[in-house]
Amino acid sequence: MAEETILAVRDLHVEFQTNDGMVNAVKGIDLDVRRGETVAIVGESGSGKSQTTMAIMGLLASNGRARGSATYRGQELVGLPERQLNRIRGKKITMIFQEPMTSLDPLYRIGRQIAEPLRYHARMSGKAARARVIELLDLVGIPNPAERVDAYPHELSGGQRQRVMIAMALANDPDMLIADEPTTALDVTIQAQILALLADLQKKLGMAIVFITHDLGIVKRFADRVYVMRSGEVVETGDTQKLFDAPEHPYTQMLLAAEPTGRKDAVPSDAPILLEGRDVEVVFSTGGSWFGKANGEIRAVDGISVALRAGQTIGIVGESGSGKSTLGRALLRLMPGDGTFRFEGMDISHADKRAMRPLRKRLQLVFQDPFGSLSPRMTVGQVVTEGLKVHEPSLKAKERDRRAIEVLEEVGLDPSMRNRYPHEFSGGQRQRIAIARAMILKPQVVVLDEPTSALDRSVQKQIVDLLRDLQKAHGLSYLFISHDLAVVRAMADYIIVMRRGQIVEEGPTETIFDNPAQPYTQALMAAAIDGTPFRRTDIEN
Amino acid sequence: MTDIPVPDSDISNIAGRSLWQDAWLRLRRNRAAVVSAMVLVALALAGIFGPMLSQHPYDRIYPQYVRAPASLEAYPRADDIVPAFERAVTRTRVEAGEIEVDGQTVRVPISSDEPIDPRITRYIDRSDLFFNARIEALSADELSGELVASVNRVKFYFGTDANGRDVMARTFIGIRISLAIGLLASMMALVLGVTYGALAGYLGGRVDNVMMRVVDILYSLPFIFFVILLVVFFGRSFVLIFIAIGMTEWLDMARIVRGQTLTIKRQEYVEAAQAMGVSSWGILRRHVIPNTLGPVIVFVTLLVPKAILLESLLSFLGLGVQEPLTSLGMLISDGAANMRGAPWLLIFPAATLTAILFALNFLGDGLRDALDPKDR
Repeated sequence: MAEETILAVRDLHVEFQTNDGMVNAVKGIDLDVRRGETVAIVGESGSGKSQTTMAIMGLLASNGRARGSATYRGQELVGLPERQLNRIRGKKITMIFQEPMTSLDPLYRIGRQIAEPLRYHARMSGKAARARVIELLDLVGIPNPAERVDAYPHELSGGQRQRVMIAMALANDPDMLIADEPTTALDVTIQAQILALLADLQKKLGMAIVFITHDLGIVKRFADRVYVMRSGEVVETGDTQKLFDAPEHPYTQMLLAAEPTGRKDAVPSDAPILLEGRDVEVVFSTGGSWFGKANGEIRAVDGISVALRAGQTIGIVGESGSGKSTLGRALLRLMPGDGTFRFEGMDISHADKRAMRPLRKRLQLVFQDPFGSLSPRMTVGQVVTEGLKVHEPSLKAKERDRRAIEVLEEVGLDPSMRNRYPHEFSGGQRQRIAIARAMILKPQVVVLDEPTSALDRSVQKQIVDLLRDLQKAHGLSYLFISHDLAVVRAMADYIIVMRRGQIVEEGPTETIFDNPAQPYTQALMAAAIDGTPFRRTDIEN
Repeated sequence: MTDIPVPDSDISNIAGRSLWQDAWLRLRRNRAAVVSAMVLVALALAGIFGPMLSQHPYDRIYPQYVRAPASLEAYPRADDIVPAFERAVTRTRVEAGEIEVDGQTVRVPISSDEPIDPRITRYIDRSDLFFNARIEALSADELSGELVASVNRVKFYFGTDANGRDVMARTFIGIRISLAIGLLASMMALVLGVTYGALAGYLGGRVDNVMMRVVDILYSLPFIFFVILLVVFFGRSFVLIFIAIGMTEWLDMARIVRGQTLTIKRQEYVEAAQAMGVSSWGILRRHVIPNTLGPVIVFVTLLVPKAILLESLLSFLGLGVQEPLTSLGMLISDGAANMRGAPWLLIFPAATLTAILFALNFLGDGLRDALDPKDR
């Protein structure tokens, strides 16, 4: 690979002026991209990997400033006036973002949005641009491009929107494509398709790809060279193969070893059933108005039976929209659903809010988003002790405080932080707070709704370890909802695979992973573990 | 992150910085907002203490100074005092020297061929202008001395109105009334709107539908018609005005809070509280309402000027505050009528109202920026 270097970054610094003084997001990094190669920038959130590319593209937030040099084919980009920069960005260097849902303007047809860079940079006529757009949509694998060109973004699925974003980025035959976590918001199966598409396009068009990600699995399959970033610095760089085989820097080694490991043994089959739902159905009606009846319905959960035994962890896996979260909430009676529900043998199918209140103490829920699940206007202490106020109202303030200290220590947080507010904590710490909030009530059943998917790999591992320790110490039963198969494998002893509100397959973890019987499960495993893109047609039958 | 040593001694002493404190820090750096806040405080103090400290009660009529223009000079002017005093002194039939006006006193050296009768001071006291006339420095032979009289000289910095009342005192009382109505009406709108909106949004479904349709119906009532109805039933009073304004303004507030509540109730922290078994009231009070307050506070700062303007409108139409009590709106409508002949009647109240409105709007703007978490 002795291709010419098209992008050379030397000693790049990015600083942000904030209320608490200067924050150095990027501290002098060097980076080279050669023609036609794929470079991955890997790092956890806050490592400065996105800010590096933002600085190159001149897209820093208004309080940010870049120093150093970034040259594209000899042209200095840092500090270039907007007009000249626009001749390069959007034409020679283009970018796709993480969130396909919000990167497209919902008010315009996709054809018009893709045509915009064409008409601006290449000065194409409307007709020529439209023809090119259809060609591009075909290139990125959108079926019926001639019709889809007039679709609005909301008419497309997440994967299709990301394809549209890619088409937009490709419109002017760029030299270099910067992909900022392009697959993080997508399901594993879609993720594999998008990655395959990018690899395919690169082969066809010969552009360089800078791939920003925190997912080492993607890097391994996809990149030629890797830069590992940590707190604004490049700690290690090298060819993918070499780096994965013999990582030198301890941080890289830690990242590579961060895949959750360990297995959970199955519980004895005579363990008492704690929480049980039989033939659970949750139906949402759509439409309907003040006067009219609802005109449609969505069966989010369609006749599922689950029995959670004491000490057991059931993993529920499935793509987004498969109804797994709805099932978890229905089992906790937080959502109206039909079927028979039992908790410790007691029928709670018809229990109302008031009847459920005493049981809530023993049935807890931990959410996916550690940013959304803590009220921003309450201190950590208030968040954690709120449950005590409800269930043990006789406790004195001092006693509550003592319990809060105890539980915060148990989840590995400094209890002296309990007068702080959630926004002062990192994602992993917040998830610990959320877990502490559930644990302070000493529950028996905890529904964990994607508790690790918003976290970095290394933090994920810590949270998984914490959850396992808590389970051991208190004999908890978990219902573990996740789309991340690696984590589920480490946590659960029994797995339910869901799709469109129904169970596709269920069984002990080992069986499901080693011998998946259903084609859907097989496809899911393949996509998650070695990244084989799978075709829709495989699953349809 | 895992192994943070815990010093037992100061386990409860690390205080965090709440979003409010963050917002406060940001607000303090916004110069326009800080200046506005200071202007508001100064005007509020003027409204509270101004009428107490003022030389004139706001309803005192000075028949002799009708439509006196604003000036730093005291009334009556020295040019008016001297001839009047001269006329009075002539009646005493003594020889008078040069008349001298010094603040609140007028003095003139007098001399006579006969001993001066002290009763001549009555001639002076008989005049409207002078009182407490006396003879000082009477010589031993009682042939010469100094005639001294007090004169009540008053200053009208903002001038006087068509009835001869001090415009400054009236502006102060106008600030007091207008700010009070603005604040009280906004408070009423705040309490009613936040409670109603949060309840409607949180309960959702049919309850929400019914509650919001009630709001829609109230929206369709014309405001003036509503006020006239109230006035007809309850008579004109100060309390009625802010009730009338509060009763109409809470509708906007209810809609804003309902919208906020709809998004907040889908937040996971609300669901977490539900999963914990917290009652609906507890969720509303601890989770929903505190999180709606950002936009609500901004709206309130914009509501206060709106209420002040509405009160001005009512007063202009004669449905508002009653004479001799006044408000900025009434003063302005008064001033507008006399704009040609007595511009000071319009200028001072209008400038005050403008300052208040500007300051409130700037402050509202500053608050919105400060409370926007994206700007962190």
